[in-house]
Amino acid sequence: MSERPALQLRDRAVKALKDDQMRQAVRNAVDRLSGNKEKAARELPHWEQWREQTRLIRQHTIDNLDYYLKMLTDNVRKAGGQVHFALTAEAARGIITGLCQQYEAKLVVKSKSMVTEEIHLNPALEKAGMEVVESDLAEYILQLAGETPSHIIVPAIHKNRYQIADLFSQVAGEKVESDTPALTRFARQTLREKFMEADIGITGCNFAVAETGSVTLVTNEGNARLSTALPRVVISVMGMERLVPAFEDLETVLSMLPRSATGQKLTSYISVINGPRQAADIDGCEKFHLVIVDNGRSRILADEEYRQSLNCIRCGACFNVCPVYRQIGGHAYGSVYGGPIGSVITPLLENDFAFWGELPYASTLCAACTSTCPAKIPLQELLLKLRAHRVSAGYTNTFEKIAFGLWKRFFKLPGTYKFAMKAASLGQKPLVKNGYITARIPLLANWTNSRYLPAAADETFRDRWKKRKKQVSP
Amino acid sequence: MTVIHGDLSRETQFLQTVAKALGRDKALSVAPTRQEAGPPAFWREQQFENTQPLALFKTNLEALTGKVVIVRDGSEATNQIKLWLKVLNAKSAILWDHPTLRKYIEPAQLGVKAVFWNNERSREELIEIAEQSDVGITWVDYAIGYTGTVALFNGAATGRSVSLLPPTHIAVMRQADIVPTMSTVMRELLARCGQGNLPSAIDFITGPSRTSDIEMDLSIGVHGPVRIWAVVIED
Repeated sequence: MSERPALQLRDRAVKALKDDQMRQAVRNAVDRLSGNKEKAARELPHWEQWREQTRLIRQHTIDNLDYYLKMLTDNVRKAGGQVHFALTAEAARGIITGLCQQYEAKLVVKSKSMVTEEIHLNPALEKAGMEVVESDLAEYILQLAGETPSHIIVPAIHKNRYQIADLFSQVAGEKVESDTPALTRFARQTLREKFMEADIGITGCNFAVAETGSVTLVTNEGNARLSTALPRVVISVMGMERLVPAFEDLETVLSMLPRSATGQKLTSYISVINGPRQAADIDGCEKFHLVIVDNGRSRILADEEYRQSLNCIRCGACFNVCPVYRQIGGHAYGSVYGGPIGSVITPLLENDFAFWGELPYASTLCAACTSTCPAKIPLQELLLKLRAHRVSAGYTNTFEKIAFGLWKRFFKLPGTYKFAMKAASLGQKPLVKNGYITARIPLLANWTNSRYLPAAADETFRDRWKKRKKQVSP
Repeated sequence: MTVIHGDLSRETQFLQTVAKALGRDKALSVAPTRQEAGPPAFWREQQFENTQPLALFKTNLEALTGKVVIVRDGSEATNQIKLWLKVLNAKSAILWDHPTLRKYIEPAQLGVKAVFWNNERSREELIEIAEQSDVGITWVDYAIGYTGTVALFNGAATGRSVSLLPPTHIAVMRQADIVPTMSTVMRELLARCGQGNLPSAIDFITGPSRTSDIEMDLSIGVHGPVRIWAVVIED
């Protein structure tokens, strides 16, 4: 289970709203990314057909996940790899730590992987006495800063170059300049040495392929290639839904992922790893392990509507169009996965509607996420369903329960409804100014603190309707 | 192959959990019928003219700071590489010991210290040489026009380090091996190798190593090569 942040969602959001530098950085990043995505979607012929194809491939895979996981397992073994299954995060940590100890690893290099963030792998490996180095530039920066990703595609967007230069200078023991080429050069040199010395490479898995037993890794930097080409042992960790049935399916998902994420036609590197190196090969790993992780996914799978969230290809496009993410950034979500998709899967993965059930409220339900999603996941419908789930489970506060209880009683019958509207219209009088209620009313403070409440009209629609009818018909 | 103790029962339990979540008593063992696979139908069925993949390849790779030079034959290709090595002020190169690359390129003519990646040297030695080399030269089995991508297949004489560790990667290919789309490569590769016999790694490379992780500012060459240049032989 994830560690819970100390603050409630609202307080986390308030804290984020005061961080001007972070908010500026997030706005710049999401504007650039979503602008590039729009361009890339226009440039590929028949974008909607690609989206539908992606949805069909993902839905078919998820609906038959038992079959394709078995097929994948058989084919990874055929290619000489070993497959491990972890029902929980704890089991996954145990398997991976055990493998690293079995191979007597001292230095582990990692390429970017959200699932290893999810299972909190690094602290477990460090506790077992290993040095763990993140090799994706952003993840490396965050590791030095002791922070977590704030976006799944550009994890360190909340940090500026001066903060990064300070972190690098501490490692270097001398001043590292803050221009991008100097920072990149420093990272290249430092991490290259780590790659050359590493005993084990740990990667995530963007897409496994059931029919070939392949693990496909997508990067722009090439760090996944280095992590798999040089160490003698490679461990790939995959969430159990991250696969496609056929080799040919890769063209669809690999076209949609980078276009939706950054607007690129393809990322610089796509590596398809088929087990360990073959007998005559010189580089590549000698031992290949695939660790397949459930950690709450089967709970999502069991509900036919929530199941659609497993179609996600982790492109981050929903973050970039979300008006809430734009204002509060990734850390305010408090979970490993933020943004609209994170708000859907976190309460389900954690199986916790009391605490994590707040996340689906970090949404305006504007549906921008749904219309941008390359796998056509109906995100705002799922967010709404999660809210309903939370209410029926009884986790809403007493005031909200009483308020909606009253609302229900008054609005169920025409007579009481009419009375309520009249009463509101009269009762609000002292509070209305220019058609809005602007006063800070204690009970309505959450609304009136940030926006005006439109006043109820003097005359109800029903009354106006009656009057007009009289005027029209003699 | 060692099977770690307890894994088989873990596997059964795991797949059973998935099957149960899908509303089945036990895991599905008959292949489910698929309506749609691969890219959308219109994409698979589109026709490309003979020269179009090359033109697309050139435009796309050049848009990513790559260079593409089209030559007539092996001796022109050798000359082009020699020229580039001079421009780069390169002292050393590591080359795939690929039979087709050897057919076209004359290593003695390149004017630098050229080492072949093959089992005459140890793994450690070769990785060290690749790390120190100014340029890595590979043969491209397939290039993809639509994205400006080269597809490299790992093998005994075709190590991943050659296209990865040196700061410059020169990729050599025949015009006939530039195909329009990625799924063409997938189909042909599966037909050629058979399902269980794919190379241990297939790398699709589209432009140089890049990152925008620092303030969304594009930076080239963070881990892999800074430059990817291509020689296309018309032959």
